[in-house]
Amino acid sequence: MRGRSTGRKGNSMAMDRRRFMQLGALSLTSGLVACNSKGPKAAQKLLRIAETKNEIVERGLIYRHTSMDRVKPKAHLAGDAFPAYHISKHTPVWDEAARGVWRLQVAGAVRRPMEFTLDDLLKLPRRTQKVHHYCVEGWTAVAIWSGVRLSEIARIVEPKGDAKYVDFESFDDDYHESWDIDSALHPQTLIAYGMDGHMLGADHGAPARVHSPVKLGYKNTKYLTRVVFTPHKTGGYWTDKGYEWYGGT
Amino acid sequence: MGEITQNMVGSSAEQVSVEVMSAAGDAVVKAKRHHWLVRLTHWVNVVAVLIMVGSGLRIFNAYPAFAARGGTFCCYPFEHHPIPKWLTFGAWLGGARHWHFAMMWVLAINGLIYLGFIYLHGEWRDLTPRRGDIRDSWEMVKFYLFVRRDHPRQGKHNALQKTAYFAMPVLGAVLVLTGLSIWKPVQLALLTNLFGGYVWARYWHFVAMLFLVALSFVHVFMVFAVDPESLRSMVTGNYDSSRAPEARNARPFYREKRK
Repeated sequence: MRGRSTGRKGNSMAMDRRRFMQLGALSLTSGLVACNSKGPKAAQKLLRIAETKNEIVERGLIYRHTSMDRVKPKAHLAGDAFPAYHISKHTPVWDEAARGVWRLQVAGAVRRPMEFTLDDLLKLPRRTQKVHHYCVEGWTAVAIWSGVRLSEIARIVEPKGDAKYVDFESFDDDYHESWDIDSALHPQTLIAYGMDGHMLGADHGAPARVHSPVKLGYKNTKYLTRVVFTPHKTGGYWTDKGYEWYGGT
Repeated sequence: MGEITQNMVGSSAEQVSVEVMSAAGDAVVKAKRHHWLVRLTHWVNVVAVLIMVGSGLRIFNAYPAFAARGGTFCCYPFEHHPIPKWLTFGAWLGGARHWHFAMMWVLAINGLIYLGFIYLHGEWRDLTPRRGDIRDSWEMVKFYLFVRRDHPRQGKHNALQKTAYFAMPVLGAVLVLTGLSIWKPVQLALLTNLFGGYVWARYWHFVAMLFLVALSFVHVFMVFAVDPESLRSMVTGNYDSSRAPEARNARPFYREKRK
């Protein structure tokens, strides 16, 4: 048997170069047909089910109020290299002449809805933290954020028992994103008005943005106008386009 | 007429070999090589890995680099060069993420079923590295380089195969753990920090994928080039050893002249 390259029936078992190339071409073509595709339409329903199931695992099993984002002491700030994204045609700037003094409205399912000017926010207990920003694109950036903990603002406005979600609305066109209330009240979730030791600039969401390392970047609405506590999920800009709603890290 | 005798063959997985004298008088040794659970998990894995790699590469293309913003990264020469679109799956970042986070369950559960089964059923013994494997691997390399004339004797797998089939689940585990690290770098910070933080966890995720893809390419190539019978055996479970590479002195593309 040794030294023979033919099988029992005498036909050739060795794959010669020609047959290999044919098979290779066939596989490559079928691969190309499948690739860069969205996948079969029927699968979209399964994918949505998977997202729902994942959310249950993420909110119920994985999320911890005590988890903290920590940055290595020697980590460099992103500084000017921190990308500045917005959806309006131009960088959104609050037009005080047209719209009056900027105020952050905190409303919805709360006992004491309130409005905070920037001065009001500056007077509240300040938290400064050096944390990561995790973008859905895959990059991270380190920055120092200063602001008021949303949990501190919640202490003031007293969300009602049925408030399970928080929607962050903005004046960057119709950009908004809603969160689960647990993540909104996480100790590292800030209404931030300061970045890297100076007041927040127009590029990064002035006068104030929400920022938390427990949510991906697209969940962290800039150019805030309202923070609304609600009993229901209210979607969001990227969420409505099909990105996952939860977006937690 | 044929005479059937039953021989117990040494390997734990080839438990029964049936020697049949065919009408033509040749001896044929057919054996049960792969349990149906091994076969099933193998093919599920093929689909899962293809989709995980394709969707993963589309996700990667959203930021085809590793450096944190404002920083530099030492160890990837193609930063900011996207992977060619035709290698990716999912069409857009949101779609690719949905595929990735759905298929990850299939990959992980299927992988655990396979590993759990081969541990309980004994097939793991065919894959663990043993003394002499390095020497045997070198003998296989010499054979493929035509330095050695005859195919080394082997059981179910030769030493090169064992190395590959042992490495693949290890790489799979690294992929799952680094994947969890970059999926939840805050909630699973302990795990992420084991890999050196988010940036490094993402890099090791990518590197482990490269190794797995490379091994898979070699595996598929060798199945077609040297041991097509193994493809049949991964479907039916039966392996005809008269068609084994050892019996045919099989090398890729090279047909040995009959003596």
